[in-house]
Amino acid sequence: MSKLNPKIYWLASYPRSGNTWVRAFIFNLLNNKQKDFDMDDLDTGPIASCRKWIEDALGFDISELSHNEIDLLRPTAYRWLSENMSQNGYHKVHDAYSTLSNNSHLFPVEATRGALYIIRNPLDVAVSLAYFTGDSIEKVIMDMGNTDTSACENPRKFHKQLRQSFSSWSQHVLSWVSASNISNLVVRYEDLKFRSVEKFSEIASFLQLPTDEVLIKNALAQCRIDKLQTQELSRPFKECPQSTTRFFRKGVIGDWLDVLNNKQVEAIVNDHRNVMEAFGYLDSAGKPYTTFDTQELKFDSAYC
Amino acid sequence: MRHYKAFGLNIVSELELPSLILAPFKNADVWIKKGKVSKNGLIAPKRIRPFCQQAPSEIWLHVPGIARFYISQGNKVIVEPYEDADEQSVRLFILGSCMGAIMHQKNRLVIHGNAIRFGDGCVIFSGKSGTGKSTLAAALYQKGYEVLADDLAVIDEQLNVQPSYPQMKLWQDSAEKLGLDICQLNKIRLQIDKYAYPMDRGFCQKALPVKAIYVLNNHKNDQFLLQPIEGADKLPPLKNHTYRPGYLDGLGLKAQHFKLCSQLASRIQMTRITRPSHKFELDSLIENIEMDLHSKSFAA
Repeated sequence: MSKLNPKIYWLASYPRSGNTWVRAFIFNLLNNKQKDFDMDDLDTGPIASCRKWIEDALGFDISELSHNEIDLLRPTAYRWLSENMSQNGYHKVHDAYSTLSNNSHLFPVEATRGALYIIRNPLDVAVSLAYFTGDSIEKVIMDMGNTDTSACENPRKFHKQLRQSFSSWSQHVLSWVSASNISNLVVRYEDLKFRSVEKFSEIASFLQLPTDEVLIKNALAQCRIDKLQTQELSRPFKECPQSTTRFFRKGVIGDWLDVLNNKQVEAIVNDHRNVMEAFGYLDSAGKPYTTFDTQELKFDSAYC
Repeated sequence: MRHYKAFGLNIVSELELPSLILAPFKNADVWIKKGKVSKNGLIAPKRIRPFCQQAPSEIWLHVPGIARFYISQGNKVIVEPYEDADEQSVRLFILGSCMGAIMHQKNRLVIHGNAIRFGDGCVIFSGKSGTGKSTLAAALYQKGYEVLADDLAVIDEQLNVQPSYPQMKLWQDSAEKLGLDICQLNKIRLQIDKYAYPMDRGFCQKALPVKAIYVLNNHKNDQFLLQPIEGADKLPPLKNHTYRPGYLDGLGLKAQHFKLCSQLASRIQMTRITRPSHKFELDSLIENIEMDLHSKSFAA
């Protein structure tokens, strides 16, 4: 940790990988309430690409700057925000951990207390993302394999969020887990599901949050997906995009077995073989695991 | 030196500002000059942001790659452009951030929104960025309404909106929705796909009293909602939609601003208008607004 005492913990993931669940857990751990968690109260601070957050920090209008011009200002904004936070902040981020054209890091070390990276089986990510965006599975697979993939990038219109460069799914993972200058913890979505108490305790400890087992269990109970789904049935989640009516769709592991065809599975495995292998999503024959007994999912920490 | 009239002020500028209206006058209210501007900011700033600082009567602004600006006493803008900065970009920050700062220093109420003439007064459409303010202003302009201001609605002590300048700014997406041919329009900066939509007619050059403010909003439902904002509830939206409200703290003008907002709130009607976010139905939006204004007995 630098002498500057950075305050920002980045909650990083490729989209549809469990980020909101982790944020809901953090929120409940920090706000240990007896009453039921209302997902509309969910607030762990703005996403890293929140235009207003960045603009208020910089202190001037950035709406007439290009995406690249704004990116060059973002590290300064994060540094200022970190310096002016009274306590640690937990901010979601979907951008890849990248280096800008002036060689500075988009997420500067002086602002970064640590990065929690959540990785999820790209086969399940593809299914979830297709439902979420309304795009075809083929389009999603292509985007996940493309290092130029980004969100809010259409230069012809105004976006409430700044452009987020995802890169490809593999490069996204590698960018964060191999960022050697910042402290990070990598967790798999599948482990969060199967070994919740253990893994969420690890997360709490990494993020310097309460680690008491009762509190962890209470927080987890508050944000069980079936609870969030029931709430979503009665009113839309505030962060849900227009492209879908369900933010908390299934959250299950192995949904791809019912949805993807062989060709689609093959395409994803071909695009992301190395990273899938490294994180235990492929068996020794290079085939995706189809059963999900966590004992079989071996976690290769070589990248961390 | 060029002489312009905008926001109810006589402006003398060393830099050419082609979107403003040229007008001869003897006494200037605001001077815009090129000169040296500190690289580090103000001597005694009261509010500090990485690229912008404020002190009573002073604002320092640094837009990397474009220019540094020093705005003081409500009457002076000193501009130091980067050597390789294009004039278009420098001008844009003069007319936006710098004029907004001047107006704050002059103790005007600056609302982030546009002002459209309805009868013998005007109506301001305000709202967060991305709620369609400029698109609505351009659509009303196309329908024949006169426009006083786009983006910054400057309200003077008499609670009149002072006309800004005869140009709107539209993202390509909005311009196309409005049926405009972008080949006929100029980009406001070459670096972005936002276009200047000049008002060759229908720019209202007369200051007009504010009659109502609509706060634009959107939601995920299909309905349009019009909800009157009453009494003290008018103050938070006025504060929130003030142009860069953070400046007021640094300038020491928060109390003054509150007074202005209160005066305005007691004189005008305010309505929150919520439209479906998934489809920008301009015609229905305008229809709803016209009906509401009609019910308030505001002639078009």
